[in-house]
Amino acid sequence: MSTSALLNQAFGGVTMASYLALTAIGLSLIFGVVRVLNFAHGSFYMVGAYLAYELSRWFGPSDAGFWAGALVVACVVAALGAVIERLVLRHLYGKDELFQLLFTYGLVLIFSDGVKAIWGVEQVSVARPPALAGRFEWAGAVFPAYGLFISLISVAIVLGLWFVIQRTRVGRIIRAAATDREMIDALGVNVAWLYTGVFAAGCFLAGLGGALVAPVTAIGLGMDAEMIIAAFIAVVIGGMGSFWGTLLGALIYGQVLAFGILFIPEFSLFAVFALMAVVLIVRPHGLLGSREAVRV
Amino acid sequence: MAKSFAVISRRVLMAGLGVAAFAATPAHAQNDPIRVGFPIVMSGAGAQFGLPVLTGAQMHADEVNRAGGVLGRKIEIIPRDTKLRPDEAVRVARELIVRERVHFLVGTFSSAEAPAVSEIAKENKTFFIAPVAATDRLTAPDALHPYVFRVAKNTTNEGRSAAEIVAKWPIKRIATIGPDYAYGQDTIASFVAHLRKLRPDVEIVDQQWPKLNEPDYTPFLTAQMARKPDAVVSALCCGNFDTLAKQAKPLGYFEAIGHRMLALGEAGSVETTKSLGKDYPFGIWGNAYDAFYWEAGPAHRAYTERLRTFSKDAEPSSWPVQGYIAMQFLVEAVRKAGTTNSEKVSAALKDLTVAAPHGPLTMRAKDQQANRGQVYGVASKDERYPFAVLNPIQYVDPVKFMD
Repeated sequence: MSTSALLNQAFGGVTMASYLALTAIGLSLIFGVVRVLNFAHGSFYMVGAYLAYELSRWFGPSDAGFWAGALVVACVVAALGAVIERLVLRHLYGKDELFQLLFTYGLVLIFSDGVKAIWGVEQVSVARPPALAGRFEWAGAVFPAYGLFISLISVAIVLGLWFVIQRTRVGRIIRAAATDREMIDALGVNVAWLYTGVFAAGCFLAGLGGALVAPVTAIGLGMDAEMIIAAFIAVVIGGMGSFWGTLLGALIYGQVLAFGILFIPEFSLFAVFALMAVVLIVRPHGLLGSREAVRV
Repeated sequence: MAKSFAVISRRVLMAGLGVAAFAATPAHAQNDPIRVGFPIVMSGAGAQFGLPVLTGAQMHADEVNRAGGVLGRKIEIIPRDTKLRPDEAVRVARELIVRERVHFLVGTFSSAEAPAVSEIAKENKTFFIAPVAATDRLTAPDALHPYVFRVAKNTTNEGRSAAEIVAKWPIKRIATIGPDYAYGQDTIASFVAHLRKLRPDVEIVDQQWPKLNEPDYTPFLTAQMARKPDAVVSALCCGNFDTLAKQAKPLGYFEAIGHRMLALGEAGSVETTKSLGKDYPFGIWGNAYDAFYWEAGPAHRAYTERLRTFSKDAEPSSWPVQGYIAMQFLVEAVRKAGTTNSEKVSAALKDLTVAAPHGPLTMRAKDQQANRGQVYGVASKDERYPFAVLNPIQYVDPVKFMD
């Protein structure tokens, strides 16, 4: 097995990880602050991908169109999330977690049927933005430009989130709300709007993830289930509510899958789940997680 | 007295009306149309291939009706949408038999739908032809019954045809990639078995099995490139092949194998080359049931012209020919049997030969399967069209390797 082959596979794992991390970070954020396990996170991701497809049909392939479109899509999905949170989800806070799970699962079914009704059952696809359609070669290995770029964006987003949470006033309030909701409420912060904002931010990331991953995947029904399972694995391995943990979890997921396909193809997916089970047994809060709410 | 007379009178009237009604509506009158139920996928995924199959069948029914019909009766095709789901296919098949009182069933698309509908055909003793489904299970000895026939290729003869072509290539190392379900597994397995017989010197260096409708082929492609095969055989069909081709491009996958790929599963069909357009990996081999640009004699040219007019498309699809041939077999069998009774038509169909557009096709008695081959060729550029065409193109007759 040559070095270039190993490099290829490793880079494939890194890009897979960054596609996953984009969306999983949002899941981690929502759980860390709002304390809701958003089962429908993969559905927001899927809606983002389909909306990106729709926009690409109107605007055609162009760099500016692609990036502007991705931002527009993310905002639309964030708005959708905010509306859902305002109208229904807020009434379920503090209640039995089962209700939240049932509700978000209901959302999964509604979104899935909605997407099917609007876009049909066939797989659709989006082209890469022309500026990033090429590839670099180094040490005999191939590095597609788009994958490199998305990896950088994922890291940038995690850094950005870390900065906001740890170094800004808004971040301090968010951390406080996650630790002690009643106190921050008593201090005059409008916790309800805070939660809506955080939920919307998580959905923004899911929609952005869908729009940015659209060019490198086949957009079809079932992508919501695939994403939510992968996101859960990443978040469980890395640690609930920890952003660096989610990034680490996604990285582990990507590498185990990539090298699994190379060396133990029949067991590649099994290896990932087995790893998650081991982590849950040995470190139930994940590798970088802890009982605290939002850590970075 | 008058009252009882009225009662008797009314009873007689009722009885008389009943007899008259019974006599006036026999089950299938002599000049009623011959009703053919057509369960096929008409919506969602697969519709872009299922609907053309229906078009081909309707075209032949139209031609036959214009020439006077069969046994003096017109053919009427009654299509129903299976949504590419076996449970729905079973439901509409039953509805066609029981409520629409069809004489025959022609249809289904996937290898999951056909065996399910075959059960219904057996249960209701209704003659059924499958124009597309490829699974060997449909005509396997333990599943075969007098009412099921197939005009499509099957996975065994597709795999073997592929081996015949690949055996001529100057290669030493070959890899395969196929969807991890019955069609993919069976086709690749029969390819590998036959290649081992023809070229025992060629080594199978890698086999990838992405799941059906896999959204991301990248890790499978890079893993395959790591093993450095000289050539690859793929069994990815339809939308899946589109995804693979698009994702393989930035990896340089096709360059790494020198474009020596044979893409089975009708990857060379007009639909697929149109949908990929200039992103199609020119230089690879693909197969298809038919191609409008294929020069295969006057009968084929005439068929293609009729198809252009009937489907209102100057560059018509590769799939209608299967619906067309299925109807040809049905019509000839009914003519030979002289009746619409399913058992007699089934008996008449065995060993029957029809003049299909590309040449004669025979329905074998031993496994109720036609000796249907496909065209194979190299995807090349053509100034006349914005999509790839198979050139050179050849028809591979499977007769020599059908057991």
